[in-house]
Amino acid sequence: MKFIPNTLLYFLVLVLFIQCKDVAKKEAEITTAKNEIQYAKGLEIYNYEGFSVVKITNPWPDAKENFTYVLQQKNSIIPDSLKQFTTIQIPLKSIVVTSTTHIPALELLGVENTLVGFPNTDYISSVKTRKLIDAGKVREVGTNETLNSEVLIDMAPDLIVSFGLNNSNPTLDNLQKSGLKVMLNGDWTEQSPLGKAEWIKFFGALYGLNSKANTIFSDIEKEYNTTLALAKKATSKPTVLSGAMFQDQWYVPQGQSWASLFLKDAQANYLWADSNGTGSLALPFETILEKAQEAEFWIAPGDFSSLKEMSDSNPHYKQFDSFKNKKVYSYGVNKGAKGGIVYFEWSPTRPDWVLKDLISIFHPELLPNHKLFFFQKLE
Amino acid sequence: MTQTNRNTILFISLIIGMLLLFLVNISLGSVSIPIKDVFNSLTTGNCSKETWQYIILNYRLPKAIAAILVGMGLSISGLLMQTLFKNPLAGPYVLGLSSGASLGVAIVILGTSFLPTFLSSILISSYGIVLASSLGSFLVLLAVLAVSQQLRDTMAILIVGLMFGSLTNAIVGTLTYFSTAEQLQKFTFWSLGNLGNLSWSSIAVLSICIGIGLLLSVFSIKPLNALLLGENYAKSLGLNYNKARLIIIFATSILAGSITAFAGPIAFIGLAVPHIAKLVFQTSNHTILFWSTMLFGAIIMLICDSISQLPGSDFTLPINAVTSIFGAPIVIWLLIRKRKMIG
Repeated sequence: MKFIPNTLLYFLVLVLFIQCKDVAKKEAEITTAKNEIQYAKGLEIYNYEGFSVVKITNPWPDAKENFTYVLQQKNSIIPDSLKQFTTIQIPLKSIVVTSTTHIPALELLGVENTLVGFPNTDYISSVKTRKLIDAGKVREVGTNETLNSEVLIDMAPDLIVSFGLNNSNPTLDNLQKSGLKVMLNGDWTEQSPLGKAEWIKFFGALYGLNSKANTIFSDIEKEYNTTLALAKKATSKPTVLSGAMFQDQWYVPQGQSWASLFLKDAQANYLWADSNGTGSLALPFETILEKAQEAEFWIAPGDFSSLKEMSDSNPHYKQFDSFKNKKVYSYGVNKGAKGGIVYFEWSPTRPDWVLKDLISIFHPELLPNHKLFFFQKLE
Repeated sequence: MTQTNRNTILFISLIIGMLLLFLVNISLGSVSIPIKDVFNSLTTGNCSKETWQYIILNYRLPKAIAAILVGMGLSISGLLMQTLFKNPLAGPYVLGLSSGASLGVAIVILGTSFLPTFLSSILISSYGIVLASSLGSFLVLLAVLAVSQQLRDTMAILIVGLMFGSLTNAIVGTLTYFSTAEQLQKFTFWSLGNLGNLSWSSIAVLSICIGIGLLLSVFSIKPLNALLLGENYAKSLGLNYNKARLIIIFATSILAGSITAFAGPIAFIGLAVPHIAKLVFQTSNHTILFWSTMLFGAIIMLICDSISQLPGSDFTLPINAVTSIFGAPIVIWLLIRKRKMIG
């Protein structure tokens, strides 16, 4: 029976301690908490008793500003120094997200039923979420650039997760003025495969499911790293061409882009791996033919679903060895019920699946039993 | 030196210039190919590298031919419009013809979701796009003409043309609002204009369309000269005014429509080239103007295309940017000159 007075004593001391604490001390505490994020470059999450702080440090490419949000659990106290930031009550009961890449995180965390609105639901391909859409539980909220403010204000979701392409987002500003909570998500600026996948922790924090999100991510991380180690055993490095032509310009991913990093991790010799930048290069057809005519594989030629469709759209494609030898792999075949491409939705969250696909394409002997998920060989 | 001699010399030099520029255009590109190989692939087909031969024969050659066809077609359609409307600022672009073609193409590329599947698969082929864009430009031109019957004032007609342009652009804008990212990309690139990426079969279709358009224009040379003197005078010369006007409209819309379909809306060529021809040959006689406008159009388009390729580098410019650099100063100069004449 000795522990009761003890506990009481501790409690008293603690209360006194908190009373005496000044704001500056609080600030110091905020900076000393551990950032939960390892790989993502544009996200920081700090957990405290009763609330957490989420920082979006790279909301769009080359952003000069960052955004801080405070996620407050019920009946907890927020230090004064954090009152200047947007505060969001968690766990969320309703959410509007604006990119299909956010859908897998909601599904994996088991909270897809909180989704109440989405711009252009046809893009969504996940079966679970499609069921909700078909049941009329997810409302259309306009398009990404011009969200339908009236519908959103009428719905009053707990939170709108959107993204900004640059620092002028008038629609989002308006929504905030009308009292809605808006968070900018920067997962799309992330370049490393694991960095992109780690954004599931962003959604975990919104539902108070941090530990669940951490577990899901560390499983993906483990799987990715195991596959990466397997890829190192490859004996060859096949050459790879990527992208496709729009009119007379060919677009290929640049060397430091997400798509290019995957090819590197899968032990392939991507022909533009040395180029600088994280976007895409626009090259004339002549240059591409000169450099990649003999490339062994052609990965991700736009969203084509057959070789005939490709040569119909552009007869020049027939000149490439990869096309002649039918070594063209596209993500355009695996589509959702309304035509949304599964790869666009799930690849950021499941880089391990992407890597396995690519390794089984380039080095089938390493993963003999793997069934391709995102990519399909075009016939 | 008489006028006739001067014209003969000019015509000969224009034809030689066009042939030279045609060869220059084929020899230049982002991949540097030695002149010897260029000639070999064109003549004997013994090029030292297979990819080079492919580039010359299946990429640059169709592109150069397209440049000539587009240059000729647009310039002539500009000439026809300027004479018909008696307005030096008229052209396929200014009168909303290109906007009409854009609308046709937009409906085909962006509006597929509103069309039944079997129809959209037909329409998405190159012939479907030609059909849609010719139809679009034809309808806009008819509308402009119907209004021009009511309005005798050329400036008013021009404004009406621009209004139709705005109207069609608004509809295109609404369509883009509801389309997927891929469709948008497709349409945006089409609207930037390009001469490359045309297969031989597209070149064949384009040649036939331009051929028909130019042939109709040749038959219209006499009526065009009569029209210069005014509608009533032309009628008193025994000209079937309505028939002549219909032929001119049809020629213009098939020229502008097919070019816009294959190469996108290319700006200013149709407006500027007829003026260059008038300046150089110092005549308003369409017998001379027709041929000179055609040659100048081809020459300028070949030059523009060579510039847009930025030879030896991996960068290219959209063809529309280059043509406007040629066209804009001429239009500005025209306006200033007009102001002076009134003053």
